[in-house]
Amino acid sequence: MTSTSVIDDLKKSQILELLEQGKRLDGRALDEPRKLVIEVNAIPKANGSARVRLGDSEVVCGVKIQPDRPFPDMGDKGIFICTAELLPLSHPSVETGPPGPDVIELARVVDRGIRESHMIDLSQLVIQKNKSVVGVFADNVVVDYDGNLFDACAYAATAALLSSKSPKWEMQNDVPTIVEGGESDVPITTIPVSVTMGKIGNHIIVDPNGDEWASMDARITITTDSNGNICALQKGGTGGFSFEEVIKCGELSVKVGSKIREKLKQAKEGA
Amino acid sequence: MGGRDTTLVLLDENGIRCDGRKVDEPRRIMIKAGGLKNADGSAYIEFGDNKILVGVFGPRDVHPKHMSNTDTGILRVRYHMEPFSVTERKNPAPSRREIEISKVIKEALEPAVMLEKFPRTAVDVYIEVLQADGGTRCAALSAASVALADAGIPMRDMVAACAAGKAADTIILDVNNEEDQAGQADMPIGYMPSLEKITLLQLDGVLTPAEYKKCVETGIHGCKIVYELQKKALTDKYFGNGESK
Amino acid sequence: MENKRKYVIPGDVITTGPYRPEQNVILDGNKIIATAIGISEIYDDSIKVIPLTGKYIPKIDDLVIGKVVSHTSLSWELDINSCYVGFLPAQDVFGRDFSAHADELTSKLKSGDLVAARIANFDRTRDPLVTIADRDLGKIDSGTLVKISPSKVPRLIGKRGTMIQMIEMATGAAVTIGQNGWIVVSCETPEGLLKAKKAIQMVDEKAHVANLTDQVKEMLESKGES
Repeated sequence: MTSTSVIDDLKKSQILELLEQGKRLDGRALDEPRKLVIEVNAIPKANGSARVRLGDSEVVCGVKIQPDRPFPDMGDKGIFICTAELLPLSHPSVETGPPGPDVIELARVVDRGIRESHMIDLSQLVIQKNKSVVGVFADNVVVDYDGNLFDACAYAATAALLSSKSPKWEMQNDVPTIVEGGESDVPITTIPVSVTMGKIGNHIIVDPNGDEWASMDARITITTDSNGNICALQKGGTGGFSFEEVIKCGELSVKVGSKIREKLKQAKEGA
Repeated sequence: MGGRDTTLVLLDENGIRCDGRKVDEPRRIMIKAGGLKNADGSAYIEFGDNKILVGVFGPRDVHPKHMSNTDTGILRVRYHMEPFSVTERKNPAPSRREIEISKVIKEALEPAVMLEKFPRTAVDVYIEVLQADGGTRCAALSAASVALADAGIPMRDMVAACAAGKAADTIILDVNNEEDQAGQADMPIGYMPSLEKITLLQLDGVLTPAEYKKCVETGIHGCKIVYELQKKALTDKYFGNGESK
Repeated sequence: MENKRKYVIPGDVITTGPYRPEQNVILDGNKIIATAIGISEIYDDSIKVIPLTGKYIPKIDDLVIGKVVSHTSLSWELDINSCYVGFLPAQDVFGRDFSAHADELTSKLKSGDLVAARIANFDRTRDPLVTIADRDLGKIDSGTLVKISPSKVPRLIGKRGTMIQMIEMATGAAVTIGQNGWIVVSCETPEGLLKAKKAIQMVDEKAHVANLTDQVKEMLESKGES
């Protein structure tokens, strides 16, 4: 992201120098993510929401749940749509207007991470088969940028979905109508956690911040589910990973992911 | 009682409105200056259930170049609502309403902002409505003023905004969502407190000339209340004891 | 010559009377109004406001730290933390014999390089012209860039340089302060570097606090902890 912002070369060489010594500019270990702060119900009028700060990257995710028509050929499943938008106030280089390829990739990767894990049991979101289903929309907006929006958005969406409450609908006179007092949690089967790793020289670092993001050669985002299985993966950037590096990243994503899964659970409990 | 919705009691026999307020009482307002790391200036406001974030960049180079003005800087405002900010999920693409509000807020800020000192630059104001509940344009304008001051954009005055209106045949201060839908008039006002000039004024509804005058007075009174909170937001950030962003 | 100081925000009426409006102040009728967040100072015949926020406004002869962000075949563009981009012509570095065909700009400076430069010329009708043609100027090869609000630079320097000298002596760091709020800090020891950065950030956050010098001194003298 923000290829138009130029990192100063001094900092870039400092980052590499420190990595050679196993250190990072902000003092973290190579496999250590930044501080994660999750506030659920940040937008009380939405069906679910979370405001997440991953270091200085900040994302707000709002979940809206409303009746919708099912996709053709999927009349027995509800709808899940996850989006991500980079707001112009998040960084001076962000322009207004339709999203560019970077932001579209971000949105699709975050969506896939949650969808492929089957986090939401869509078969429980049917009002009338082939006619009316429940649509769950998770919209992420990035309000401050400091690297690794893939994880920041994924955590915001996951936390928002975990704490979302869905109304219950029934068909009445052919129209989906809310059933008073029928509210319930969104049907969750697993908690997906994405972990993004960057490669700078021969070093793999977890959760690159803005400066590291601008210095890295390549990145990989891996999503794991509650069983420790890998369910989604995206490599990006112009550099390449060796076989060993890709395997190591898989292991890191499970290890780091499980700790973050605990934080997501705690955030839901505290809601 | 007046109003289109007869099931909602907009004003009861004790002069209490549907959300428990008195006729001249605004909703709870909280304004914070700063908070965003990358924006040159920022502010966050909660006005009743409205939650709005504003980020400002500038003065900075104008792109595309043909939009720049050789004699003065230009002000650009984008008012945007998130899909989850309203009851039924909103399409992310800008609506006509958002475009109109962006323009109206820009014109409300221009008299205050002194951009003659920065030719060939632009000041960009980005307003993001995270949660909407009636009166977003007034809350947004009030927060935008604070964000502009936070960014160090020279201003001849702050701009504070509040809406007044009519419901149940009574002039009320700070119209909420229900009162906007079911009431008889809604008048958002933006006001520069030191220069005593109204820079935003719109009306939806029917008022007699006497009601019109009372509505404007009531709105200005509301703007002055908002102004005190704008001042507090900036004072807390800049003149607090060692308080940092 | 008593000067009364007051905290102001834009639109505040500082006072009324026959004063000459100076920086960040305008005259409306006989009212003197602040146009920035800051501290107003009233002199015998003039009033100004020292701002606590805002971008850097170039002034001729100011030393600034700039970052090269782009170049054409004839010049470089520098980010100098201002509303305008700094313009560094190729002749400034290559000399008058510069030829766009023969001399490649990136051999001297490329995007991402930091330089210590001086504002050679500035009027608002065109971008500020900068120069790196003096001995104390040029590409910065080592050190860490720290950014503060340009309005806090005088406080960081201190009266007759006392604040910055105190920081340099206590930490062993060498500090180059750009008037644009960008600062380069070099230090032999990582602890000294960290302490110097911390002291600079303290000044940025607490510039308006009366006993700031004592607070910074106390922090510099405390042992250990980052």
